[in-house]
Amino acid sequence: MLKSILSKGRRLAGLGSLVAALTVTAPVMAQDKDPIVFGGSIPLSGVFAFAGVHLHAGLTDYTSWINSQGGINGHPVKYVMEDTGYEVDRSVAAFKKISGSDAPAVYYGDSTGFMKAISAELNSMGTTLMSGASFATALTDNEQYPYQFIPGPNYSQMFGIILEYIASQGKEGDMPTVAFVYSDTEFGKDPIANGKTMAADLGIKVVEEIVTKPGSVDVSAEVLKLRRVRPDYVVFHGYVLSPINEFMVQMRQMGLDTQFMGTFWSSDKLIIDKMGKDADGYMGVMPYNYYDSDETGPMLDALRAQAEKSDPKAGYRPTGYMQGWFNAMVWTEVIKRTLDAGKELTAENMAASLASIENWDTGGIIGIPVTVRDMSFPVGRIWRVNAEQGRYEPVSDWIHLD
Amino acid sequence: MRIGDAKQTYQADEAIWTSSTQKFWFSLLLLILLVFPFLANAYLLYLGCLVGIAVISTTGLNILTGFTGLISLGQAGFMGVGGYTVAWLSLNTGLPFPVALLLAGLMAAAVGILVGLPSLRVKGLYLAIATLAASVFLHFIFAEWEPVTGGMAGLSLEPAHLFGFTFQSDFRMYFIIVPLAVLMVFAARNVFRTRVGRAFIAIRDRDISAEILGINLLRYKLMSFALSSFYAGVAGGLFAYFYRVVTPESFPLAMSIFYLAAVIVGGMGNLLGGILGAAFMTLVPEILKLLTAALTPFYPNAPVFMSPMLEIIFGALIVGFLIFEPHGLAEIWHRIRRFFSLWPFRN
Amino acid sequence: MDWLFFGEISLAGLAMGGLYALIALGFVMIYKATRVINFAIGEIMMFAAYLFLAFAGGMELSPWIAMPLAVLGGSILGGVIEKTMIRPMLGESPISVVMVTIGIASILVGVVEFFWTADPQLLPQFLPREPVFIGPLYLAPKIAYGFLIGAAVLVLYLLYFRFSRGGVALRATASDQAAAYSMGINVRRVFNLAWVFGSLAASLAGILVAATGGLSPQFGIIGLSVLVVVIVGGLDSILGALIAGLFIGWLETVAGAYLGGEYRMPATFVVLAVILVIRPYGLFGTHEIERV
Repeated sequence: MLKSILSKGRRLAGLGSLVAALTVTAPVMAQDKDPIVFGGSIPLSGVFAFAGVHLHAGLTDYTSWINSQGGINGHPVKYVMEDTGYEVDRSVAAFKKISGSDAPAVYYGDSTGFMKAISAELNSMGTTLMSGASFATALTDNEQYPYQFIPGPNYSQMFGIILEYIASQGKEGDMPTVAFVYSDTEFGKDPIANGKTMAADLGIKVVEEIVTKPGSVDVSAEVLKLRRVRPDYVVFHGYVLSPINEFMVQMRQMGLDTQFMGTFWSSDKLIIDKMGKDADGYMGVMPYNYYDSDETGPMLDALRAQAEKSDPKAGYRPTGYMQGWFNAMVWTEVIKRTLDAGKELTAENMAASLASIENWDTGGIIGIPVTVRDMSFPVGRIWRVNAEQGRYEPVSDWIHLD
Repeated sequence: MRIGDAKQTYQADEAIWTSSTQKFWFSLLLLILLVFPFLANAYLLYLGCLVGIAVISTTGLNILTGFTGLISLGQAGFMGVGGYTVAWLSLNTGLPFPVALLLAGLMAAAVGILVGLPSLRVKGLYLAIATLAASVFLHFIFAEWEPVTGGMAGLSLEPAHLFGFTFQSDFRMYFIIVPLAVLMVFAARNVFRTRVGRAFIAIRDRDISAEILGINLLRYKLMSFALSSFYAGVAGGLFAYFYRVVTPESFPLAMSIFYLAAVIVGGMGNLLGGILGAAFMTLVPEILKLLTAALTPFYPNAPVFMSPMLEIIFGALIVGFLIFEPHGLAEIWHRIRRFFSLWPFRN
Repeated sequence: MDWLFFGEISLAGLAMGGLYALIALGFVMIYKATRVINFAIGEIMMFAAYLFLAFAGGMELSPWIAMPLAVLGGSILGGVIEKTMIRPMLGESPISVVMVTIGIASILVGVVEFFWTADPQLLPQFLPREPVFIGPLYLAPKIAYGFLIGAAVLVLYLLYFRFSRGGVALRATASDQAAAYSMGINVRRVFNLAWVFGSLAASLAGILVAATGGLSPQFGIIGLSVLVVVIVGGLDSILGALIAGLFIGWLETVAGAYLGGEYRMPATFVVLAVILVIRPYGLFGTHEIERV
């Protein structure tokens, strides 16, 4: 009985992965060069689906676009992915499956948990460079994660950018006060220790630290704590929507004129859509220009054109889309540099190419030329919600951390 | 067709294999398990290892819940203890994996005894809730005791090693996990040939009567907890070696429920049931994925619905098995076998 | 010691406790009549909250129409669950029935995720927005009004139990099924009604809690806190549900405020552990005597 399950499973698995590969690959131009494979463990369902669906769209559209430009150095690009429901074991399973069947040069990982779990195998394989949805601080440790990079600032660097902005709003000797509000999860706690150090270095006093438990909670007690200390700024991290809205509404009702700021995953349209007028004045750190911002640039315009083409009814494309696109851009640049130097596409060579990126013009996706530091792009800008216009507008210059 | 089943010695009565046919099929199974990693691709190998770990943990839970009747919602917590023990040992000592796994099991067993202490005071569902509380406390410790457990970020491990040979790949890990699983299932089978096992079953059936018969309830209940937690600890340790990272979120409550479901779906109080349940629950998501991949050409949005469908199917399986087949997959298997062995007769 | 602050924190905690008491009431009703520990209570709450989201948000009905409809939906769900999945399990071991409710919880999470996706949601506003002041103490409006609604419903339930025929039938069935049968009470119907009314209380509480803290398919985790409440209070004691609900709500909030958010759950589980050791049947529960 066991035997029949095994062989049947193998047949089905083979058939299934063939079908999956055929249905999700972008149209490949008839070339006689080997395709370069972009692999992905994508959370199309589950708790991260709100971003996953758009990450996938960004990667898919970029693949179409790059193929319409003749591929990478003439190699057509193939994008192979699997849905993971944002569960680590499914992500790992997808990675093993795709690595076995398609030999991807680069891979998109859907969560911090996955990136950590797969690092040992990735390092020993040495064939694939990985990045993804995680901006975890740990991933910039190049000793432990030499073949993984972050397509933007890590969470600690995001805090750094936020704190630099806050510092710039203060006067000499009279720095604003800050409270950190974060969730009791690995995601939430990630940047806090570094955040406190950076605040101390800038002379900013962290007057309160609030940890909220996951799930639907009443935060009025926490709001009372904040009322006692009256911080000038509250920085949220580890959330997507709740309980940011409750904090903002309740604190304003109490008459506090605190400013509210958040990190990447809580700085998107979702806040504006769900909170409406209440979202006005909320600020977020975002390394990419928003789809609906007034910024332009050759790549940004190409992105918008491609997005229009692939789904004219979609309208606005969220930050997840931008992140997916930018990820693929970095992969392309890294692969190009490696191939142009005449080197083989191994993880080590690609990592070296990545580290060589300096003052790279991203064509409008990021407003200033970027330099890679410790396998991340520590750059960002503070944007503020304009509730009437229904979008984010820049309120700071581009901040590039060293 | 076998008709009668006359034994002449107690030894024969308690034997695990009663016929040469059984021994033949079992040897064949062992052979298949041995050869499997050489034929399977990376993905199937990965699944094989996962099933192996699940089998160990499910067997442990089966001992506690299926055979002794003590409902436990803390299996994930005990696995976590094992996983973190192995991780800590891997980072702070250079102990080879057999020693580390043994220590992980013992550590988990110790915690299991602690958690089992209320079992004399409370019974049934109250005990289940006590194990749930234990699970919450363990999770809290994993997350907050930073110096030892690495806090929310968890711990990363060096690969398992023995006499300089490292078990880096899934292929190598398979040869730790599966033999260990076979061994531990055997050990469990053996326990139920002894008076300890019989005491467990007596406690499950009617513990007050068992006490009257002279079975020391506290001693045997704690033993059951210890044994079951040992299994969980070893499974957790293997989990740690396999994924090379443990975090507080690696062992969530959902995992405890998963294993409880595996025990029930497989068949409570039946070791074969434990194995079938573990394999079934681990493979169902994969089968669903294949189905989704097959449907995607017709319904491009199919993957988006896969995750909720998985939840629904998981729940429906539990409810369905409990209502329609309370003795689980093992019972279905036995029915099939009975059909063939009694054919052409019906009963 | 800042007494003002302590007072405000305590008020917030008691208000939340009122909601816990309402959920616990629903739970106790189900247990009292049918002896089932309903692990799916958090998910029934969640389902009702999603129904409210659909009626008030998607279909843009007035919240005051959407709420009764959603509560009705939740109650019907409870009745359907009892008829189709709990009734067949009559006579099986308690662990099996508990596992069925765990399975039901999973199904509900999947259903909700299927129709509404796993995205986080906010309920349309329907509670007043101005802060409430009790003397110098501030209380957030959502939980203040949530508490009032919950308390009103609770009082109605208690009156119903005490004075109506249905309530008497329920209490009779809970204390002695055989005697209830012989008195002509339709026990099967009582079982079903217990689930319906229990789910009603839970559904209402679910909408109020979701209005306060947001909604997502992970909402059901609140069931763990409710479990603590009913164990501490006594699985079959309504008075216990009320008192334990207020107490646990208060304790959770105070622990969160003075020790930190990550201590909320452990604090309540410490109380649970203590109760399990010294008074396993809860503060007001009935001691079950087991015979050989």
